[in-house]
Amino acid sequence: MTCDSVSKLIPLYFYGELTPDEEDRVEDHLHECAECTTALARQRTLAAALDQRQTEVPLLLLEDCRMDLMAAIQGGAPRQEKSSKGPWTLFLEAIGATFTGLNRLQRPVGAVALIALGFFASRFTGGNPAAPIATASTSPDEVIATVRSVHPDSAGHVQIAFDETHRRTVSGSMEDQNIQKLLLAAAREEDSAVRVESMGLLKTRAGSGEVRDELLNAVVNDPNLGVRLEALKGLKPLLGDPQVRKTLLQVLRGDESAAVRKEAVDVLVTQRDDSMVSALQSLYQKEDNNYIRLKLQKALKDMNASIGTF
Amino acid sequence: MAQDAAGAVGARLSPQVDSLIRAAQRGDQDAFEQLVRTYDQSVLRLAMNLLRSPEDARDVYQEAFLRVYRNLHAFRFDCSFHTWLYRIVTNICLDQLRKRKVRKEESSVVETSDGAIDRMDAFEEDAAEADPERSMWNRQLKDKIEDALRDLTPRERMVFELRHYQGLRLRNIGEMLGTTEEAAKNCLFRATQKMRAVLGDFV
Repeated sequence: MTCDSVSKLIPLYFYGELTPDEEDRVEDHLHECAECTTALARQRTLAAALDQRQTEVPLLLLEDCRMDLMAAIQGGAPRQEKSSKGPWTLFLEAIGATFTGLNRLQRPVGAVALIALGFFASRFTGGNPAAPIATASTSPDEVIATVRSVHPDSAGHVQIAFDETHRRTVSGSMEDQNIQKLLLAAAREEDSAVRVESMGLLKTRAGSGEVRDELLNAVVNDPNLGVRLEALKGLKPLLGDPQVRKTLLQVLRGDESAAVRKEAVDVLVTQRDDSMVSALQSLYQKEDNNYIRLKLQKALKDMNASIGTF
Repeated sequence: MAQDAAGAVGARLSPQVDSLIRAAQRGDQDAFEQLVRTYDQSVLRLAMNLLRSPEDARDVYQEAFLRVYRNLHAFRFDCSFHTWLYRIVTNICLDQLRKRKVRKEESSVVETSDGAIDRMDAFEEDAAEADPERSMWNRQLKDKIEDALRDLTPRERMVFELRHYQGLRLRNIGEMLGTTEEAAKNCLFRATQKMRAVLGDFV
């Protein structure tokens, strides 16, 4: 084979589109010809460069397309007016958050959520689609698949069952209810770094009942010190709540970490509550950390109480 | 090289797909929805990759599956459903690419104070003077790749897309585009040659 004829076959050779015969002849030639071997290497480089251009389909776009199609088939309304659930809702439902009364069409236009979902935001806010698309493309979905079973059948086919996990990035303001819901879900994640980060953000929103409950739960039950400390800080503005004070006393009595107990006592003594005298006295007797003892002592003194029960 | 999971799975699991098609032909809407879900991710990816615009890709998706819905009764199982579907999808995408090509040709010459210059020439001058840093190089490569792909005819672009990104065989691609395997091979060869010419310094 001549170099000229081989060079015409190189792209097809690369894509595995030659007959076995042609393939053998090309390979024989490549063994002897440095120039054609270089041409094949260039073909590989070209393919690798082109691979980087591959677009991933944003799953939310896919969901939106599906909804549009089904709406159209069911004799549906024009797509901008459809009342079915948006991908954002579906996404949150998919991760197990419950949702009521969410209507993205009525959301304010400002820098609230859906920024990373730029494409969708642009559709509903009537903005220039060019800018948000760039944002969306920077956070492609990742798909992680776990194969559960492989069954060959007699017909020579293979049935493969696998679970898919889709990773997606969303961003939005802390004011956004959806972001708060996600953070609440994140506060129960296995990864403690995620829990600390979420708790650090949630603590600024302790006014919400759900957030308060999560802070109370975390401060007692989270195995991670950082998470408990963040939760404690979040509970500080809620000291007027008897349930919060009760939980802080529980932390002071039971938490194995002196750092957490210190934080708890600091929070607790910022508000005088005479009904806590006996609880504080008993804590003072049991506590072996000097800083905490001093704090308790001062608090009891402020309440005109003695440091011990006699 | 990207392999098209949905396409490959769909083609191989034909008994399940066949029963979905038959149910959908009888008017079972759930079956139709399942059928759509078997293939729609790869259809959308094809449209996104070709058109680089979520809005256009969305239009292709909608039009393609509406056509499938309206014409499914006429599907006679004389080819795989995947091939039949892709005939529809590739037709719509080719139309879009051809419209763009016309628009591009109409607008690719801009007037400057020195007269008309071609946008491509201007780009190449920019590239020649560029910063040698890697990120810049990568950005240039990316731009060059877009140029190289834009330089292909809609048909070459389509064959390349289906072979390189969707991992389909040329024989199958020929069937989808209503041509022969040999013609698809020629298309792929020309596409590769053109891209190598444009990307010469980069690859």
